[in-house]
Amino acid sequence: MKLKPFIIALKSLSFHLRDSLYQAAIVTVLTAIICGSLLTGHSVRVSLRRNLEEKTGSADLLISSGLRYFNASLAGNLTGKSSLRAAALTETGGYCTNYNNGETALDIKIYGVESSFFTFHGLQISGLDKGSVLVNENLARKINLNQGDEIILGFSGIDPLPSNAPFAPGENDKGSGVFRITGIIRGSEGGNFSLGSSQSQPYNVFINPADLETDGALHARANRILVEDDVHSTGSQVNDYLKQILIPEDIGLSVRVSERTGEAELISDRIFIDSAIVRAVTDIVPGSAPVMTYLANSFDINGKSTPYSFISALSEAMPDDIEDDEIIISSWLAEDLDAGPGDTLRLTWFDPGGGKSLKESGAAFRIRQVAGADFRYLDPSLMPEFPGISGSTTCSSWDAGVPLDMKRIRKKDEDYWTDYKGTPKAFISYRSGLKLWGNNFGPATAIRFSTGDQETIIEKLAGNIDPSVAGFSVTDLRVRNKNAYSRGVDFGMLFIGLSFFILLSCVVLLSMALKLFLDSRKGEIRTYYSIGFNNAKIKRLLIYETLLTAIAGAIAGSVLGYLVNYLIVNALNSVWIGAVQTDTLAPAFSVLPVASAFSAAVIIAILVVLIRLRYFLKDLSHGSREIFRNAPAWLSLKILPLVFLPALALLLLSALFRDSSTALAFSGGILLFAGMLPAAYLSFAARSKKPGNQSGIYYSRYPLKAITPIIFLAAGIFAVVITGANRQVITGKMLLRSGGTGGFLLWAETALPVGQDLNSNRGKAEFGLEVEDLKDITFVQARKLSGDDASCLNIAYVAAPPVLGIDPATIAERGSFSFATSLRNAKATNPWSLLNENPDENVIYGIADQTVLQWGLKKKTGDTLKYVSENGQLLNIVICGGLKSSVFQGHLLIGKQAFEKHFPSVEGNSVFLVDGNRDMADLYRETLTDRFAGYGISVEPAYEKLASFFSVTNTYLEVFMMMGIFGMILGVAGLGFMLLRNFNSRKREFAFMIASGYTVKRIRKLLLRDHILILLWGVLTGTVSAAASTWPSVAGGSSISWGMFIAMLFLISLTGYIVLHVSVNSIDRKDLISRLRAD
Amino acid sequence: MLRLENITKSYPQRGMVLSELNLMMGEGDSIAITGPSGSGKTTLMNIIGALDRPDSGDVLFRDSSILQMSPDESARYRNRNIGFVFQDHLLLPHLTVSENILLPASAFNITTEEYHEKMSYAGMLMEKTGISDLRDKYPYNISGGEAQRVTLVRALINKPSMLLADEPTGSLDSRNAGILGSLLAEINNELGISLIVVTHSGSLASKMRVRYTLEEGRLIR
Repeated sequence: MKLKPFIIALKSLSFHLRDSLYQAAIVTVLTAIICGSLLTGHSVRVSLRRNLEEKTGSADLLISSGLRYFNASLAGNLTGKSSLRAAALTETGGYCTNYNNGETALDIKIYGVESSFFTFHGLQISGLDKGSVLVNENLARKINLNQGDEIILGFSGIDPLPSNAPFAPGENDKGSGVFRITGIIRGSEGGNFSLGSSQSQPYNVFINPADLETDGALHARANRILVEDDVHSTGSQVNDYLKQILIPEDIGLSVRVSERTGEAELISDRIFIDSAIVRAVTDIVPGSAPVMTYLANSFDINGKSTPYSFISALSEAMPDDIEDDEIIISSWLAEDLDAGPGDTLRLTWFDPGGGKSLKESGAAFRIRQVAGADFRYLDPSLMPEFPGISGSTTCSSWDAGVPLDMKRIRKKDEDYWTDYKGTPKAFISYRSGLKLWGNNFGPATAIRFSTGDQETIIEKLAGNIDPSVAGFSVTDLRVRNKNAYSRGVDFGMLFIGLSFFILLSCVVLLSMALKLFLDSRKGEIRTYYSIGFNNAKIKRLLIYETLLTAIAGAIAGSVLGYLVNYLIVNALNSVWIGAVQTDTLAPAFSVLPVASAFSAAVIIAILVVLIRLRYFLKDLSHGSREIFRNAPAWLSLKILPLVFLPALALLLLSALFRDSSTALAFSGGILLFAGMLPAAYLSFAARSKKPGNQSGIYYSRYPLKAITPIIFLAAGIFAVVITGANRQVITGKMLLRSGGTGGFLLWAETALPVGQDLNSNRGKAEFGLEVEDLKDITFVQARKLSGDDASCLNIAYVAAPPVLGIDPATIAERGSFSFATSLRNAKATNPWSLLNENPDENVIYGIADQTVLQWGLKKKTGDTLKYVSENGQLLNIVICGGLKSSVFQGHLLIGKQAFEKHFPSVEGNSVFLVDGNRDMADLYRETLTDRFAGYGISVEPAYEKLASFFSVTNTYLEVFMMMGIFGMILGVAGLGFMLLRNFNSRKREFAFMIASGYTVKRIRKLLLRDHILILLWGVLTGTVSAAASTWPSVAGGSSISWGMFIAMLFLISLTGYIVLHVSVNSIDRKDLISRLRAD
Repeated sequence: MLRLENITKSYPQRGMVLSELNLMMGEGDSIAITGPSGSGKTTLMNIIGALDRPDSGDVLFRDSSILQMSPDESARYRNRNIGFVFQDHLLLPHLTVSENILLPASAFNITTEEYHEKMSYAGMLMEKTGISDLRDKYPYNISGGEAQRVTLVRALINKPSMLLADEPTGSLDSRNAGILGSLLAEINNELGISLIVVTHSGSLASKMRVRYTLEEGRLIR
């Protein structure tokens, strides 16, 4: 049979089995690590997918009305229209307290659900009675709840009229009550239902939706519809179905007819009608026009004043040529003020944009006309249905949401109310009214139709209003979930990165093993060469051989990879939980990661082989021989001061210049490292001069052979220590205003929004913060639009993180926080100032943490994040700055004004950055915790908030260190076995030593001493240079893991000693004697 | 057939090894080269066999410079024209004796017919050198003298024009050295293969028609 190269390679492989097994073992480890890492990435994705799918249950699509509510019957109507199964629910936030032990869980989700919700998910749970709730296991575990226990729930109640809307009555829509737990439901039973994208298990309460209503509505409201979609409908198809079934009543709009004018008008249960709806309706129904009726605080003229009257801004009924500063007043008002045409009266009102700040504005108007009793628009129905006003029997019983001076109300005012209710006393042009009272909630209090009756109008509107204008959006949960688990943190690549040292060790060992292997076969290869095999053919033979070895190793590694995956996943669920914030990961298997790891390992092995072979064959064909080389001329003792003195100088400077100490010390450490290597080289090169050490001559002839393992050891130790010293801890810098805490003392967050401005006297008085001890306390307050946490604590991909609306001027004035990146070519140098700008319609600026931008959102400064504003309009948020690591991690910051414009229904502030007297921080914390208990407040020092984000990074560093140590140990062990092979090739030398009178024991002792010296040089070089590099971090309080560091040095030294001991003991006397005899 | 012109070769550690060396060799000639250790004998053999390159000068084989050859042409030159016999037999330990012998036939693609021809030629040579019964043995199962004869057969399998033997009897006892020396001379005489032998052995050198001593980098007759 002809000798084919493959056959020759197979025969060679079986002959050199021991060497091949060693190489295969290295490839096995290499493959196992890559395969284990990739399988871990797959396991995390599978677990995350399972987690997200369990949370969304049977829901494939989500119809959300955002911050608004709709008629819950819409879900049934949708099913009727589309045959898609649907269930409505109300999602709101709040807090939950165990009535028995007082334990409280903040940031819980409360779902108002009917029995249809459980049926939708295929669960055998009937609907909930009023006063009873179901909680999920996670919440029950957190605050020790059992079936039958009572809980106190605080929540944002369902009321279509936001409490911060102009003239909304009383306090915000904070609801609370005591409820009895009728059951605890497991995750598998839908207990972990969530519409968010996060691996964390939610705290859920399921409640009868009627218990969430705070306005006594006639029909059930909801803000979400879950849709099961077996036919793969698109979002736009579902939106079309929704449009077809949507009637005004579903979104809180109603049409009534004015008894006085006979006109039909559209009004909203939100009082103000959103601009998008006004536009839509006026487009759909020709001859319709918006109307704005507002409450004036007073009409004043010549010392006479009429208090608390309504005034309407009309477009249709007003003369065409009415000026903006002209007003038509009723004869009643003219009489009361003794005013007539041409007179100027002053009008005052509470600014609608001021929220609860009660800023009063005013304007002067020239009376154009006094309207007689026959004036068509002396119409009581023009007054909006203000909940605290319209049902009142007297003016003095109004609850207008603003403080009214009841002393000013006269008997004639009460009589007017009794006779005419809210009939406006004055009229201005709509244009002027819009200018004065147009607000974020809308530009109209009604839309009047000049033609058409009630039914015709409703018919025209039904099926023609685009759902998006009412805030509806349709999300494909399947797509969103897929994005969340597939575009989230890639743990596969992460663990490959964290296992860098192990992989590097494997590559280095494989390279060295191959070199030894090829060197030991030099004779064979010379034979091939001499009998006419060309380089390509020799290379092919060796590649076949190493390929077979690599494949065998890779197959074994692929099997072991699953074990590595199992270990990593279990570690992530327990000791490394800081990296994933969940213990629900499960190991999973897939062919693709295994095949990828297999291919990668084989390719790496082949690349190493090719590189090695290239040099080997080049040397061989050029006839070069292994010769010892004298040290280069420049490498002498004289060079050492040139390296060590600057290193010491840099270290000295690092002690003097604290601001640059890290960079200086690191440079000093690197120079020390660079200096110790030639020192070691010269030390080994000089060993031949010492008498009586025959073994030392070897390394004096080949000092590079000693330096290579020294570099490996030293570089490994250096890198592991440097990495360990990078553990993130709170430093003094972070407490400064320019640091990550912004100089704030506390970070507080409430489950329910707080409507008052806590910096105002009224706000402080409301919560008892006016006491002397709290005189220095100040707040930076932020409104919050819920979203999925985009901080490093969430491993799922998040496209739209929670938005905070803050006052950027306060932050900019304080000089709080620092930017890592900012928008180029921006006119303003400070990104904070951009938050008040509106570059275009529906375009605003935003700021986020740079790490969140880069890793979480995968965006950069200048990119745009797409949001949908409350009224369904697309909102483009252009990132104008990336903050250095800050307490805002996970959030997107926009200006307060922009927030209120685009999300007006958010009723107050939920995030508070607290500053004041640092010594009083504990008192602040206790006081706020106490005073805002009803809002579900959590207060923590700002530095602790910042530090909570470090847990992820620090866990990764810990993993990297552990993997690094494992890699080092593996490398040291591998070097030891390499030494075995080296001793094997030096048998002749040892045999001659025996012949010269050395005993085997002495040879072993000398070899052990030489190699321990190499080990010590490596450990010393790495430790000393790393210690020098990291001393500023250590001195600055870096929580370097000393235990792990000492364990590393101990394990490396111990492993090194054991493998050296084993290696030198492999030198066998009989073997050497027989070799001597043979020679 | 072979002409070496002004060959010079030096090594950094050893200095000048060959200096302006010239050599002429005709078809079927046999040359013995002797000289002290380190005088450059092996270097000279490696240069002739295209295993090494001189610093200057030229090596002409049948009037073509082997120094101008590409690596592949060089390999083909060794495979087709040169047979090497080293002091250490350098047999591949994982191949049997017959596989080792036929290995040069696998260096380039040949037809099955050619391969069978080489197999029968190998059988004849093995018969002639007295190693027929070693055919299926591995190199570690045969003696040094037998291994050296296997090497000789392997060197002859492609019917080379020239045999380069570097200390072929250096590691053999006198009996085996005698057998191998006779075989080399016989092959030179019977097969007409040119032979260059580097040796310390006066007995082996005496079997060659021309004898040179390599001194100070030059060949002295």
